[in-house]
Amino acid sequence: MLRITVQKALKGGFLSPKHVSPMLSKGTGDVQKKPQQIEVFVDDKPVMVDPGTTVLQAAAMVGVEIPRFCYHERLAVAGNCRMCLVEVERSPKPVAACAMPVMKGWRIKTNSEMTKKAREGVMEFLLVNHPLDCPICDQGGECDLQDQSMAFGSDRSRFTDIEYSGKRAVEDKDIGPLIKTIMTRCIHCTRCIRFASEVAGIDDLGTTGRGSDMQVGTYVEKFFLSELSGNVIDLCPVGALTSKPYSFAARPWEIRRTDSIDVLDAIGSNIVVCTRTGEVLRILPRVNELVNEEWLSDKARFAYDGLKRQRLITPMLRNGFGELEPVDWECALVSVGKKILKAGKNVGAIAGGMAEAEALVALKDLINKIGSEKVCTEHAYPTTGSGTDIRSSYLLNNKIARIEEADLVLLIGTNTRLEAPLLNSRIRKGYVHNETQIFVIGPKVDLRYDYTHLGTDPGVIKDIEYGKHQFTTVLKRAKKPVIIVGPDALSRPDGAGILLHIQSLAKIIQACVTEPDWWVLNILHKVAGQVAALDIGYTPGTKSIVQDDSLKVLYLLGADENIPCRKDLPKDCFVIYQGHHGDKGACMADAVLPGAAYTEKQATYVNTEGRAQQTTVAVTPPGFCREDWKIIRALSDIIGKTLPYDNLDQIRCRLEEIAPHLTRYGDAENGNFYDVSLDIGKQSNVEIETDPLCVTQNCLEDFYMTDVISRASSTMAKCVSAVRQQKSSQY
Amino acid sequence: MASRAMNLAQRQVKPILSLDQDEARKRAINLYRAWNKQLPFIVRHFDIPKSVEQCRQILREEFTKHENLTDVRVIDMLIIKGQMELQESVNNWKQKGHIMSYFKETIEPKPKDFLSKFLQGVD
Amino acid sequence: MASLILRSRISTSRILKTCSANISTTLSNFADINKAACLKDAKQIRKEVALMKREDIIQKQEHDNATITIEKPSEISTVSGIPEEHIKTRRVKIYMPTKNAMQSGTDNTHHWEMEFETRERWENPLMGWTSSGDPLSNMNVQFTSKDDAIAFCEKNGWPWFVQEPYKCKPMKPKSYADNFSWSKRTRVSTK
Repeated sequence: MLRITVQKALKGGFLSPKHVSPMLSKGTGDVQKKPQQIEVFVDDKPVMVDPGTTVLQAAAMVGVEIPRFCYHERLAVAGNCRMCLVEVERSPKPVAACAMPVMKGWRIKTNSEMTKKAREGVMEFLLVNHPLDCPICDQGGECDLQDQSMAFGSDRSRFTDIEYSGKRAVEDKDIGPLIKTIMTRCIHCTRCIRFASEVAGIDDLGTTGRGSDMQVGTYVEKFFLSELSGNVIDLCPVGALTSKPYSFAARPWEIRRTDSIDVLDAIGSNIVVCTRTGEVLRILPRVNELVNEEWLSDKARFAYDGLKRQRLITPMLRNGFGELEPVDWECALVSVGKKILKAGKNVGAIAGGMAEAEALVALKDLINKIGSEKVCTEHAYPTTGSGTDIRSSYLLNNKIARIEEADLVLLIGTNTRLEAPLLNSRIRKGYVHNETQIFVIGPKVDLRYDYTHLGTDPGVIKDIEYGKHQFTTVLKRAKKPVIIVGPDALSRPDGAGILLHIQSLAKIIQACVTEPDWWVLNILHKVAGQVAALDIGYTPGTKSIVQDDSLKVLYLLGADENIPCRKDLPKDCFVIYQGHHGDKGACMADAVLPGAAYTEKQATYVNTEGRAQQTTVAVTPPGFCREDWKIIRALSDIIGKTLPYDNLDQIRCRLEEIAPHLTRYGDAENGNFYDVSLDIGKQSNVEIETDPLCVTQNCLEDFYMTDVISRASSTMAKCVSAVRQQKSSQY
Repeated sequence: MASRAMNLAQRQVKPILSLDQDEARKRAINLYRAWNKQLPFIVRHFDIPKSVEQCRQILREEFTKHENLTDVRVIDMLIIKGQMELQESVNNWKQKGHIMSYFKETIEPKPKDFLSKFLQGVD
Repeated sequence: MASLILRSRISTSRILKTCSANISTTLSNFADINKAACLKDAKQIRKEVALMKREDIIQKQEHDNATITIEKPSEISTVSGIPEEHIKTRRVKIYMPTKNAMQSGTDNTHHWEMEFETRERWENPLMGWTSSGDPLSNMNVQFTSKDDAIAFCEKNGWPWFVQEPYKCKPMKPKSYADNFSWSKRTRVSTK
């Protein structure tokens, strides 16, 4: 019987009646002993496998790929497509390789007569009811069904029923503005259902009916509203679920694929930018086990049409009538240079969330050469105590991939579902497979998994630290605890106090952890450029700029979110905006210098774990746009303080000089000096206020429009209106 | 990250024409002399509006462009190409336009310093 | 004019001496016929070699067997025909191709490739095809190993960088029985 503990019911956490989550239980201390390996023969090749390995996995170890439709290595085993049937010696029936665990001494034959006949038979059945849509199907050219029917199917059809009752047809379902469904093509592999249920945490998709009347869908008219919903498009092996913005746009063989990194959040998911004639057609995920596995958030996947709208194409200067008029580069740079020279040392810079390391370092070098120290990021972070001098106090120290191994996660002041969807999917993976317990201090948000809500009062942190809370014992008993702090908690005025108390709590907990190389304290960021800026030496938060009355020139490097408005700045302050979209920053600027977006430059971004990754050029910048660091270098030439680098290699040498990890792409260094940071912080007198912790992104509506590119995207606007429409529906 | 330490291992390769630097140098000098002797005839035959002295200057530039090469095979390849060019000029397989293109009069010089490259938008 | 082919005198006796053919002129009995049937053809003499002087032949043989030692890095970019700007300004990315996210086959991902950075591509107004001013835009050479790719780039003088392939995680055995576990959260609500 499934029981819900009384304590849990009393606490009133997010309950799902189907799941039993043992509350306040001991962490399972299982000592992992290496099990005895079994020998199996795949196509006469011997291989040693752990017991419990499936036939398909054993074959993959040898290098033999068994065809499959429903099996996916990151989802639960379903075993309903039957394409993976292989012959096992001395067995009368073929076995489903994806589900059958191997036994000792089995001889598996993946190319025998029986296997081939089984595959041909399964393929024949799948094609019986599959419509002849290949010419109009978006999946054509990259379709599993096409490839496997060519490789394993029979060459002729025996389907005579076409003259009589014909093929089955199913109505299309409307599940949102992102996913186009043509359910006639569905082969009922249930990958989308398993993904929605396990990874996204939304149990909306399912099967209705049986036999030939089986339909996959939401049964009622409901949108599939998840921040990871676009991944079902990749998972679907046929063209049943396709991307609505990309429909009928291109064929896979005309597409040129460029590997790159997503910068719309701080995870740094690896993407593949697909382009054809100088425009981005779609964005797909790339596998990276350490960062995003194989998934991609909706914003990263669909916001690319914002790259074509609201673009700054030419340099602009504000003329006498107060309008921005386009000028050429020489004129713009000379005017800007004149203003900077007149300003002397009263120059300040604010870096935005999507600024890359090269532009950040060029801007800082230039501002420092002029004689000013006022370079800051628009997103605030505590600066008292050790501030951002010690890396471990602003990184996700335990790394994204290891979060799924945790057995206790404490989230403070963060909505990981919307701020870092791929980190949330890891926490959910731990929740499903590892029996992780999750506790949240902060607003009660929908995280798509059960958690215990400890309150919104930041004073709870102090209670836990001093042992006054019942949760302290649970925390100390956990074998692999992890504390994740969100950026909104730390950008409050009392953020330094919160960070200090969390650091001391983390120190207490770290002392109880015996696992080597396991770090309890983790900080999450919201924007891609923050960690690189902090590594290079930017001051977090615009306080020093706003409080400065003598500022003559303000340089905004893609800053649009937290910039001071015109009336907060001195009257004669000259504002320069360098970025790629015309948003708040460009509206208030006196000079606009058009830069390149993330798909148009080879740039270094550091994600929230401290892992440096680089984007590559997929399309060239439109119009008169140039790469950001080159604009700053040209400006330095004009004002006479030439920066010492001319090409990408030289500026990367400069990056390496400042911080060697910035050019070591793909690796993330471990943080250290936790105790030093805590000791320095204790010397300053900071305390926590009693305001409840809150986050800026509370519900799914807030997820879609958080930066300039997604605000300019019409697909994201459709998503927001779909979420609002769903709110008024009864389901 | 650009090129790391290049492969400086010694390798044995088959020669094209010359076996050592001296032989290659002799061949190069012979080629230069042959071109020099042919220049007055080229100027008169193709009726190009340049003097022999200007042609000699261009010839000198073309040869000194590659003065720092050390790989004997590459020097041999360039000598063979130079020989072919000479043969084409002598046998009238080239026309006036081909000879004049040695002077690169119609090619606009590419920007060299950072600011000019930036304003023009080239790499 | 520097000439590569030397003039020589024709000498029949020398040709005959350098020939190494066995010509049998008598066919007396069956044993000889069998022997004749097994005889190989005379070695073909190339005409340049036939007309050369003895000293020149020796010199040519020495030349064919000689090798030069190269120590410095390769300079063949001057003669490879690639314009200098496409050697100095281009950057090469050496990588293993990634699997297409929409499919589950990995047969085309087990080698190394090199590609150049993307330059401007635009839509041709006539047919809508893609035009480019970049001659190396479609240059995608495939290699079996990373070192081969690096050696090729070094030989041609292109600056390169390597994008390391992602590290595979160790395989964890999957179990169908997890879908039906009694108290674990892996119990699926969707079957």
